[in-house]
Amino acid sequence: MSLLEVKKLTKRYGEELAVEDVSFELTERTSTALIGPNGAGKTTTLSMLAGLLKQTEGSISWHNGTGIGFLPQYPQFFPWLTALEFTEMAAKISGVEAKKARAQSVRTLEFVGLGNAKDKKAGAFSGGMKQRLGLAQAIVHQPKLLLLDEPVSALDPSGRREIMNLLKSLREDTTILYSTHILNDAEEMTDQLLFLQHGKLVEQGSLKDVKTRYAEPRIRVTFKDPESAGLFTGKAPWDAVRDGHIVYIPVKGGHPAIEEVMGYFAANPSGADGVERQTASLEEIFLKVAGRQ
Amino acid sequence: MNQFGVLLKKEWREHVRNYKILWLPAVFVLFGIIEPVTQYFLPQIIESAGNLPEGAVFEFPTPEPEQVLVSVMGQYQFIGLIILILAYMGAVAGERRSGTATLLYVRPLSYPAYFLSKWVMAVSAGLASVWLGFLGAAYYIWLFFGDIAAGDFLQFAASYSLWIILFLTIVLTASAALPHQGLAAAVAMALVFAAQILDSLLGVYWTASPLKLPAYAQSWLAGAPDAGDFWWSSVLAVLLTLLFIGLGIWLSKRNAAQTKV
Repeated sequence: MSLLEVKKLTKRYGEELAVEDVSFELTERTSTALIGPNGAGKTTTLSMLAGLLKQTEGSISWHNGTGIGFLPQYPQFFPWLTALEFTEMAAKISGVEAKKARAQSVRTLEFVGLGNAKDKKAGAFSGGMKQRLGLAQAIVHQPKLLLLDEPVSALDPSGRREIMNLLKSLREDTTILYSTHILNDAEEMTDQLLFLQHGKLVEQGSLKDVKTRYAEPRIRVTFKDPESAGLFTGKAPWDAVRDGHIVYIPVKGGHPAIEEVMGYFAANPSGADGVERQTASLEEIFLKVAGRQ
Repeated sequence: MNQFGVLLKKEWREHVRNYKILWLPAVFVLFGIIEPVTQYFLPQIIESAGNLPEGAVFEFPTPEPEQVLVSVMGQYQFIGLIILILAYMGAVAGERRSGTATLLYVRPLSYPAYFLSKWVMAVSAGLASVWLGFLGAAYYIWLFFGDIAAGDFLQFAASYSLWIILFLTIVLTASAALPHQGLAAAVAMALVFAAQILDSLLGVYWTASPLKLPAYAQSWLAGAPDAGDFWWSSVLAVLLTLLFIGLGIWLSKRNAAQTKV
C-alpha cells in the first residue's frame, strides 16, 4: 500500500532551484535510499517531507494516519535534558499518551542501546550516542515512516554497523527513506533507489532494476603479477583493460561467456590466479550517473 | 499531559539546570540592595575615596524611603532590562540557530503551546526576580531610612510588573521574529529604549501609554497617579502584551523553517 506520494516537488530560493520536479512514491515496509552528491537537494527534500520547509510547488500526499519520525544528520539536543526526559517529551508531543510515554521511551532507549545511559544528560553524549538518541526520538512514537538524513555518515565504522543493524531490524514494521553517501550501506538496505543530481531526480527504481540498467557485466581476471597481466592484455582474444595485476574483460551481448574465458586459460596458462564475473557496483553506478549529468 | 504542560516542564528544567532560576533573581536582589546600602553609606564612601580638599565637608540630605525605592526602579529600568534581554533573547532564536528546535518542529507541535510555555516561564522568573529585588530593597530601606506603607509598595510593584510583562513579551517576540539572538537583543533594546526616549521627549502630549507605567508606579509612592491615565495605560499594556503574544506565536510558526537541520 502506498504510504507517501510526492508529485512534482519543487523548492526555489529566489532564482535558485534547490529541488525541481521530484516525484516518487513510497510503499509500506520498504526501504528507499536517497543518494546523490553534496548539494544535490537530499536534505531539502527530506526537510520538505518532514514539514520543516514548505515546497514552492508540487504536492506531498500522506496516507491517512502516517506518523513520521525524522532524524537530521547532526541531531541537536537540549544538553540539560537526560536521554529519557528528551525521549519522553518527544513521545508526548508526538501524541503518545502520558501514561504510556515513559515505558515506551525506556523500551526505545534500550532498543537503541542507551538503556544504561538513559539518565545521563545529552550534553555529555558522544557522537555515536547522540545518533542513537536521535534514532530513539525518531521511533519512540512508532511512526509508519522514518525519514533519516545521512543517519550513519558521522559515525565510525563500528558505530555505523550498529546503527545499520538497528535500521535493518526496523524494516519489518516501518517504511524508511534515508539519504546517504555511503553506497555500501545503500546496497545493503535498499528496496528502491532515488538518485538526485542538481535538485532533479535523475534515476529511480529498485536496486535490481538500476543495477541491471547500469550493469556493465565484465570478467575480472586476477594475475600473479602485473607483468603476466600485461602479457595477457597484449595478446588477449577479447577487449581487455589492465589495472595492475587485474584485467577486466567487458561482456557485450553475452560474450565472452565466463566458461569461454576459463577454457582459454586452461589451454593457455598465462599466470592467471582467478576468474570471476562482475557487475558494476553501486559506487560505479553513482559515479557514472553523476558524471553523465 | 497536554503539550503546554510538557513544554512548560521543559522550560522549567532549563531554568533549573542552567541555574537561571537562581542567578536571575540573585542579580535583581543584588541591585535591589546595593542602592539603599550605597545611598546610606555614601558619605563614608566619598570620605574613604580620598582626594578631597582639606576641610571639605559634604552635607547629604537623607532621602525619603520612597525616593530610594524609586532609585532602585531606575536601576531596573536600565540594567535590569538589559539583564532580562540577555536572559531571554535566545528563547526561540537560539533554539532555532543551534538546531535544538528541529526535533520539536518536526512533530505535530502546537505553536501557541510552544510560545506560551516560554512566555509563562520568562514572565514568572522575571516577575519573581523583580519582586524579590524590590523586597530586598524594601528591607534595607526599612533598616536605613524608614518604612514604606505596604499598600503603596504593592501598588508600586504591581504597576511596574505590568511594564515588565510587556517588556518580556517584546523580547520573546523579537526572538521569534529574528534569525539570531544577538539581533533579537539589539532590536528589542533599540525598540524599547527608542520608545522610552520618544516618550520622555514628546510624552507630554499623551498621558495613556504603557511606557509611562514606571512613572505611574512611582506615583503610587507619592499619593496616587491620575486614575484615568493609569488605568488606560494599564489596559494598553495588557492589549499590547496580548498583541505581541499573538505575533510571537505566528512568528514562531512562520520562521520554523529557519531552524538548523
